[in-house]
Amino acid sequence: MGYVAIKGGEKAIDGAADALEALRGGGQPSGPDPLSLDAIEHQLRLLTSRIMSEGGLYHPKLAALAIKQMQGDTLEAGFALRAYRSTRPRLLETPPQDTGQMRLIRRISSAFKDIPGGQMLGPTHDYALRLMRFELAEESPEPFRKMAAQFLQNAPTDTLPDSFPKVLDALRKEGLLPPKPAHRNPAFDITRDPLIFPVSRSAALATMARAETGSMLAIAYSNMRGYGDVHPTVAELRVGYLPVMLPHPVTGELTEAGEVLMTECEVIAMYEPDDTDTGKDAAPEFTLGYGACFGHNETKAISMAILDRALQKGMHDGPANASEDPEFVLMHIDGVDSMGFANHYKMPHYVTFQSDMDRLRATRSKHQERGQDQQEVSHESEL
Amino acid sequence: MTHPTRSVDWPPARSQWLRYWSALPAEQAEALAANIAGQCTVKDLTLPQRGLGLLKLPDSALNDLYFLGEVPVSHAHVAVVTDDGRRSEGGARLLDDRQSLAWALAVLDATLAARLPHHEQALDLLRTGMAKVQETERERHALLAATRVDFSLLGDGSEDDNE
Repeated sequence: MGYVAIKGGEKAIDGAADALEALRGGGQPSGPDPLSLDAIEHQLRLLTSRIMSEGGLYHPKLAALAIKQMQGDTLEAGFALRAYRSTRPRLLETPPQDTGQMRLIRRISSAFKDIPGGQMLGPTHDYALRLMRFELAEESPEPFRKMAAQFLQNAPTDTLPDSFPKVLDALRKEGLLPPKPAHRNPAFDITRDPLIFPVSRSAALATMARAETGSMLAIAYSNMRGYGDVHPTVAELRVGYLPVMLPHPVTGELTEAGEVLMTECEVIAMYEPDDTDTGKDAAPEFTLGYGACFGHNETKAISMAILDRALQKGMHDGPANASEDPEFVLMHIDGVDSMGFANHYKMPHYVTFQSDMDRLRATRSKHQERGQDQQEVSHESEL
Repeated sequence: MTHPTRSVDWPPARSQWLRYWSALPAEQAEALAANIAGQCTVKDLTLPQRGLGLLKLPDSALNDLYFLGEVPVSHAHVAVVTDDGRRSEGGARLLDDRQSLAWALAVLDATLAARLPHHEQALDLLRTGMAKVQETERERHALLAATRVDFSLLGDGSEDDNE
């Protein structure tokens, strides 16, 4: 592949940017009001979540700005957030944070109906009919603003704990899962170090955590449909706010510096005695997959957990299908990478294509000559 | 609506101060810090900074450490010295890219830690911030309490009882 510098077109490029802005304005002086970042952040909260996780930066306001600037293009919005983060200095690496301390707004299990602390559906479309609510098309501001207050007024006043025990910990206590091993390796920084295969699981988890939701879903779906055999059960799916603890500059004591909305999913897969590395005589135990991402994005967390389990199997036994192949999965799920590659085909390739045409002409000419030679040979042999 | 409120120690531990102060609009802390800085000497012990931090988590399946992504971080570490020579150090590390807010909270942290002049206002802000945090907690608990579910197994007869 080749590129060539071109000149000219500056006026047209400026014009293209202006044209894009003109369409954002609605095309008429009496067009709609501009979107506020607050409206995007809250009314399109799932989209904002997606951009934060795919951009790899937890910044709801900037994610909302990226959505506004890119006019709803999720891939471009994620790209903008990544570009922004690349301009900022790296100040620190947090100590390992405990997701058991998440302040939950949703918590379900498809493995057990009774889980310690109980199941809470939280905000979800899961049980709603996918019918259009036409009344939203003409929504008036006053009832809209009262919705949250009304919900709180009618909500039960149960006293609830801030955090809940994890389902996996209960299974570990029963001995159905191996005990949690000690931290093994340092975390891999995918923003500074390239993926060189074979990669650590840490690198795989970080790559999937900022991957494009649709790409992850597509490959995980291939596993679910039969190109793989994870057969997952969701042990626990949690959505909530993780308090981030950093050392206080004076006392050194861990102090809450803020919180991050995240989704976390653990899946239980079929048991395999060999996967425990304790030998073939070991008692069979369930195997696990793990998924997590910034914001509220359950599809992504579940897809990641399935792919994590598939990749563990592929790393252990060798890949038997695409979703178990670390290189196939991890090199094809990044939205910025894949969108960039696809869209670069729109850019001028005049020299490359000219070269392709020259090669085709030369090949056709040789082909023609060879045809003529063969005709002459066959003509001579006939004589 | 009345919600049960859990009792909280007062004043809260220093490790909770940043959480409460940062629940309020930044202008409130910045205004108080500017007032304190107008009457005391505030020295930066390290240069206030803003940038990013890598958020490290252990995965809950196999306990491998990994980075979920990056978070905005601002940092300030100051010393506040009063006219009569009393000196106190304060600091703030926040998940927020407003360096001015980190600096302001570091000033409040130093002021309250040594009960310097204006610490009462810092304490008032702490009380307001704590109320705001408790309000947010109530809203989140409402999301859970209103959606608590008991999935009965199909076929055990419990669903038929209501029909």
